[in-house]
Amino acid sequence: MREFKPLPAQPAPIDEVGVIGWLKNNLFSTPLNSLVSILIIAFLASVLPALIDWLFISANWVGTSEAACKAEGAGDGACWVFVSAWMQQFIYGSYPDGELWRINTSLIALGAVIAAPYLLPNELRNSVGVPLFLVFPFIGAAFLDGRLFGLEYVSTDYWGGFSLNIFLAAASIIIAFPLSFLWALGRRSEMPFIKSVCIVLIEFFRGVPVLALFFMGSVMLPLFFPEGTNVDKLLRVWIVLILFMSGYMAEVFRGGFQAIPQGQYEAADSLGLSYWQKTLLIIFPQVIKISMPNILATFIMLFKNTTFLLIIGIFEILSTTQTALTNSNWLGGHAAEGYIFVALVFWCCCFGMSMISSNIEKKLDTSHRN
Amino acid sequence: MSNEPLNKSLSTDEDVIVIKDLNKWYGSFHVLKDINLSVKKGERIVVCGPSGSGKSTMIRCINRLEEFQRGSLIVNGVEMIEDVKNIEAIRREVGMVFQHFNLFPHLTILENLTLGPIWVQKKPKDEAEAIAMKYLERVKIPDQANKFPGQLSGGQQQRVAIARSLCMAPQIMLFDEPTSALDPEMIKEVLDVMVELAEEGMTMLCVTHEMGFAKKVADRVIFMDGGEIVEENTPHEFFDNPETDRLQLFLSQILQH
Amino acid sequence: MSNEPMPELQPVKSGSFFNNPRNRAAIYQILLLLGLMFFFYTIVSNALANMEARGIKSGFGFLTTTAGFDILMSLVEYDATHTYAKTFLVGLLNTILVSFVGIILATIVGFIVGVSYFSQNWLLKRISIVYVETFRNIPLLLQVFFWYFAVLSALPIVRDSINFGDAVFLNVRGLYYPEVVDEPGSAVVYGSLFLAFVAIFFLRRWAHKRQDETGEQFPVFLTSLGILIGLPLVTLLIMGNPFHLDYPEKGGFNISGGTNVIPELMALALALTVYTGAFIAEAVRAGIQAVPHGQTEAARSIGLREKRIMQLIIVPQAMRVIVPLLNSEYQSLVKNSTLATAIGYPDLFTVFVGTSLNQTGQAIEIVFMTMAVYFAINMMISFCMNRFNESVALVERK
Repeated sequence: MREFKPLPAQPAPIDEVGVIGWLKNNLFSTPLNSLVSILIIAFLASVLPALIDWLFISANWVGTSEAACKAEGAGDGACWVFVSAWMQQFIYGSYPDGELWRINTSLIALGAVIAAPYLLPNELRNSVGVPLFLVFPFIGAAFLDGRLFGLEYVSTDYWGGFSLNIFLAAASIIIAFPLSFLWALGRRSEMPFIKSVCIVLIEFFRGVPVLALFFMGSVMLPLFFPEGTNVDKLLRVWIVLILFMSGYMAEVFRGGFQAIPQGQYEAADSLGLSYWQKTLLIIFPQVIKISMPNILATFIMLFKNTTFLLIIGIFEILSTTQTALTNSNWLGGHAAEGYIFVALVFWCCCFGMSMISSNIEKKLDTSHRN
Repeated sequence: MSNEPLNKSLSTDEDVIVIKDLNKWYGSFHVLKDINLSVKKGERIVVCGPSGSGKSTMIRCINRLEEFQRGSLIVNGVEMIEDVKNIEAIRREVGMVFQHFNLFPHLTILENLTLGPIWVQKKPKDEAEAIAMKYLERVKIPDQANKFPGQLSGGQQQRVAIARSLCMAPQIMLFDEPTSALDPEMIKEVLDVMVELAEEGMTMLCVTHEMGFAKKVADRVIFMDGGEIVEENTPHEFFDNPETDRLQLFLSQILQH
Repeated sequence: MSNEPMPELQPVKSGSFFNNPRNRAAIYQILLLLGLMFFFYTIVSNALANMEARGIKSGFGFLTTTAGFDILMSLVEYDATHTYAKTFLVGLLNTILVSFVGIILATIVGFIVGVSYFSQNWLLKRISIVYVETFRNIPLLLQVFFWYFAVLSALPIVRDSINFGDAVFLNVRGLYYPEVVDEPGSAVVYGSLFLAFVAIFFLRRWAHKRQDETGEQFPVFLTSLGILIGLPLVTLLIMGNPFHLDYPEKGGFNISGGTNVIPELMALALALTVYTGAFIAEAVRAGIQAVPHGQTEAARSIGLREKRIMQLIIVPQAMRVIVPLLNSEYQSLVKNSTLATAIGYPDLFTVFVGTSLNQTGQAIEIVFMTMAVYFAINMMISFCMNRFNESVALVERK
């Protein structure tokens, strides 16, 4: 019998491997490609050095007042002193100095509540994790307000900064979860009146500009409360954010419902589960799992939109930045520095969440085979 | 057991399922036409017929996965009426196994099995798990208890689905083409479990094209076409001596390989 | 009808009243209806009481009263003596203008960036990724502010305008460029432009038919381009150029003549373009990726050229994914254009919900009128995009 001898592997042609191969394949594969590459490189070469110089090399990093940037010998780049001097306001707003620990505690608690469903053992997840999740916004708000806990009272007028963006977005999505799930259930319902009410609600809150909703909350809503009642502005904004979020999330959930095979309902029925047992034990967990990437995308949108609150006079981070820019001690035109800082903060949060979302999506792709 | 099923009295004490003049329409399409059938306790019935003949729809009516417009249906002495509690009561007595298993993908095998006993029968968790393990051993996969359905083969999933139904201690088991979605080499392991179940005296109503299974365990074989029961007989007579040309044609089509 | 008697069939019996699913459904719905009625009764009576207490008249009577304020920019004739109804119109037109410009530019940017993602050029692909990931993760309002306060405010004052050949000036007050003024005979040129479109329409039909019948292909795209440019150009020359340009002239503090784009509009349009462009790029990328690679391979294996593969195989399938996404992006662009109010661009929101509401106090009427307008615009977009979607689906079936 003839013996099989595999041929020895030979090295690849020199222009297919290494730096030269890479350049040839990725930058200069055709004349058009080469032209595009050269144009891009020329553009980057003309812009990047100046940008890097302004951002880092000639920038002023230390100091406490604008004088540090104007002083003799100071660099003519970005004045990061502006950002560091206003840092506390950017994050905590005008919350009193001595009470900042309350905001920090709430932020940590928020992180813990979000992590709870992943960390708690199975038995506790439903009985402890979910109720904790749902009451957190109320406890957190009461804690920051202080009166209920016998702490110093801090009026919502002093709440502000990036922490307010986070709290508002988180508190809204948490309450929107059950609400939007009900709306989505209603939209699937066979009861015509309930169905049409839910459709009107969902389409209204999705179809109207969020800014119009905020105005509704700030100028129209007070007209609807009984005469003489004075509902806190932030509370009204919270209600509006919850409803806005619910409209979008209800549509996300509707997509999730459509992805659940009919057989799941039938199997639950054939075991004799009641409607609510079927919905909460079988359907809801699967819908949440399938919808997670879209829920995160919706949350990112809500989170970015919390900056719109500036327009109705809520002191979230962008509003604080605008105030700082018009402060009489800082009139040197630091708009670029301020905006770059806020942009960076949002970018990190949103990009991080979208990475998580695409990871979940990849996992779902491979694991959700039934 | 000879062929006297149709003219037999329609409700005796032994009858666990009595279907009388059952009619169902999808819109204006008449899917089930005057179905009459009674099943005695411990009887094993195989239903076959071409696709679209209404055989699945019929057995899905028995645990009210499908509504019907006319006729009556008595399951285990309880008449099916438009009543939420009543429907839930009947579903507790009737187990169902689906073509596509329909296990709950977000729950482990053990959780799939204990869900019904815990939430419907209100049993303590320990007891429910003991029952679940008992049936998992009967379908020969106790070692998979803590896996998720997606990690099991099709045959294993279908055996879990059978065990899930058995955990509710049903009086009647319905099988809706339990082997049609399986790879050929997995059909046997599922059929073995079903044969064992039949030998223990479970009342079974089974839609299937596994003619070997029908010959082996069925007391009666029913042939449906166009929403009607066309023919009904003992397996021996059914296969060797079909009465109608329609059944003859059907048998020649499925047995001619 | 046959003579056989109808078989006696007993209908399905029903159980106790409350356990009947139909009765339950009815009870739930009646409860919801009562709840809603109570809710609306409460808020309406509260609103009426509140409005009376504040001395606000309800109704739309305010629309015919004089507004008494000026508007920064208007596409129709407007001054402070006009009515609130007119301010509504001015705002509406400005909203439509910025939305239209934003949609066109964002679509162009989005498609270019989206397609760049599939470029073989490593640098171009990176830039496409960086663009999308940067701009869609930064709040839109921040981008509006960035363009308005950090970029456009940093432009030179009028005297030091950036000058492009004495015709176009860019300064802190906006972009000034020559205005095209019609002279007698210009109608003929416009007419020839229209004629060119008609001609292209029939050319396409003819070419399609000829290919169906004879199999011969015709270079439709190049010919169309030729007609579109050539025909108006020829008439322009024949008519002896019936236009003249009104150039802006730079003085010490002012620029006279020409026309201009105010910086508010520039900042808003730029921000909407850049932001929505990133989302559209993402949609385009998703659409192209949704076409399985096997489609390209199958098309190559039957010998189609790369250009034809794009035109006949990839684009029609990708469009099915892209068009619904475009629809929602366009709608959010229109909704986002309300951010104009943050920098004072006089769109519907700014002049109506902003100034008019402040002056009249008629919150309910004004907010609802504005919401209705945005609803209507979005319905129109949705309608057009759905028609477009159907035509895409038709292309696919050919």
